Amino acid sequence: MARRLWISALIVPPLAFVALFVVYPIASAFAYAFFQWHGLARGEFVGFANFYKVLFTQPYMEWTVNAFLHNVLVFFALMVLQNGVGFLLAYCLWRELPGAAFHRISVFLPVVLSTIIVGFLWKLFLHPLFGVVNISLRGVGLGSLAQPWLGQDSTALWALIAANAWHMVGFPTLVFLAGMQRIPGEILDAVRMETESEWVKISKIVWPLVAPSATVVFTLLFVGSFNWFELPYVMAGLDGSPHGATDVLGLYFYRTAFGNQSGAAQDFGAGSALAVLIFLFIAIVAGFITFRLRAREIQI
Amino acid sequence: MARMTLNGIRKNFNAVNVLHGIDLEIADKEFIVFVGPSGCGKSTLLRLIAGLDSISAGEFRVDDRRMNEVAPSRRGIAMVFQSYALYPHMDVYENMAFGARLMGLDGIEIDRRIDEASKMLRLDPLLKRKPRELSGGQRQRVAIGRALVRKPKVLLLDEPLSNLDAALRSDVRLEIARLHREIGGTTIYVTHDQVEAMTLADRIVVMNNGKVEQFGSPRELYERPANTFVATFIGSPRMALLNVERSGNNLGLAGSGSVRLDRLPPSDERDLVIGVRPDALTVSTGEATSGFRGNVVYTEYLGDNTYVYVRLGDGTLVSVRSSDGTALKPDAPVVVSVAPEAVHYFSRTTGERLAA
Repeated sequence: MARRLWISALIVPPLAFVALFVVYPIASAFAYAFFQWHGLARGEFVGFANFYKVLFTQPYMEWTVNAFLHNVLVFFALMVLQNGVGFLLAYCLWRELPGAAFHRISVFLPVVLSTIIVGFLWKLFLHPLFGVVNISLRGVGLGSLAQPWLGQDSTALWALIAANAWHMVGFPTLVFLAGMQRIPGEILDAVRMETESEWVKISKIVWPLVAPSATVVFTLLFVGSFNWFELPYVMAGLDGSPHGATDVLGLYFYRTAFGNQSGAAQDFGAGSALAVLIFLFIAIVAGFITFRLRAREIQI
Repeated sequence: MARMTLNGIRKNFNAVNVLHGIDLEIADKEFIVFVGPSGCGKSTLLRLIAGLDSISAGEFRVDDRRMNEVAPSRRGIAMVFQSYALYPHMDVYENMAFGARLMGLDGIEIDRRIDEASKMLRLDPLLKRKPRELSGGQRQRVAIGRALVRKPKVLLLDEPLSNLDAALRSDVRLEIARLHREIGGTTIYVTHDQVEAMTLADRIVVMNNGKVEQFGSPRELYERPANTFVATFIGSPRMALLNVERSGNNLGLAGSGSVRLDRLPPSDERDLVIGVRPDALTVSTGEATSGFRGNVVYTEYLGDNTYVYVRLGDGTLVSVRSSDGTALKPDAPVVVSVAPEAVHYFSRTTGERLAA
């Protein structure tokens, strides 16, 4: 009896906290999505009208699709540039290439920086006239490649993706490195007795054996890519400039729900509907990814 | 053919010298055992032969081909690891097929070899199992099978019995001996257990502190140990070493009197070490017999034999094999006499054997 009381006393406070600050806001966002809103005043119940509006009526539909496709692009690009590079970096660090101790720290260092700082820093780096990137390009005689990276549709989103990859690549590196360090040294020795090809070692042995790390990293990247907000907000503004070229669901939702500096109308109902859609999409797909990837994990 | 030549092999890890110049000639089809206490460098030497670590100095040849710079996978050498190191995500068949595929063998040949190896090792019913679904002994056999499928010229085994329980050990030991005969290649086997070494080896390399103490057949090592290290390492219970003082043909032991032995080695050293195994000693209670005086410490009854442990006058503990199982009480005064033909003589200063 005393034990039960004790357990309850431990469980109830955090549960109440989660209910109040996590479950309640999500539930109320669900509820908000079914009402019409006049500013912050709730109007009448409108059923799925808000969902219909953001998904099937112009100009919302175009914005929704545009932002969603950008998120998809961000996810796949970061899968290669962040997780892929992270895996290779982890492999190099694991095999103790010269300077591994130094690089282990330097790869992870940007991760501890705040996104606001990274965004601001890269905005300076990518400045068309004074930015380090263009100055360096001109310095090595590649001046023709110098671009207004953040100012044109064709490069803006990729510039953000690159900045994000630079910022976060240390995270998958660390997770993969931890996964690799769990592989017993004799297994690597056993492979070395059978082949000298790094490709075979990586693809047939190391990669399958770090599956648990891959599950974690893939799932988190998926969630992160579709919740992407701070970096585009800092570097490209709420409108996803230029001309919506960097617009993503996070910015689009924020703009729709709360309006922006230029004073466009705020539509709480449509914003809530977007938030619900984003939430459901992420929850369902992330659940599916986790479920599928778990199946291929093996005990070492 | 796999004749191996190791010439002045050294290994440093940064500033630490682990192997100090190893010279070995290993003939084709020999079963060689590296034995020594932990940290003696035997596993390091095995890894250098495998190519898993680089040789710091010296030369390693297989059939007159220099191997120092050859990648491990191209040396024609296969290795069975102490932890077996099976690929956990592959089933038994895949574990064995993996290396064979990398050698570029075709599917039919791979199947034939796996079939052959799994018959030899009784792995047939296990081919579809993952390593975690196997017992220790089964994993061991898969690890050996994986090595055999590659048809290596040289098979390396790193402490293969250390992860098995005692009952399995002697079975697997016999199996390894049988495999070596059937395969007909050269085998190098690393262990710290001198019984494994004695029972399996054609020739044994006894190592200590990164050096080879002696290289020879089990019989040579047992009957003519080159120095006090080998003398005490090989044989169980271990050989007792007595620090004696020579005067003429008399050997005196502090506090225990002296014995007279003929055929002493022609050495003018006064201080000698004699080594005597338990079966070269007899213990008696009578005052008449010639021998070293001591006191019984305890007796070990093993059924067929009894070992009597006697503390001699200078504090040395010797074990004596006694077939009659005499009930000697602790502290009883006894005389330990020595069979002259079974005494080993060593220099006190160098520990080296003195030829008789």
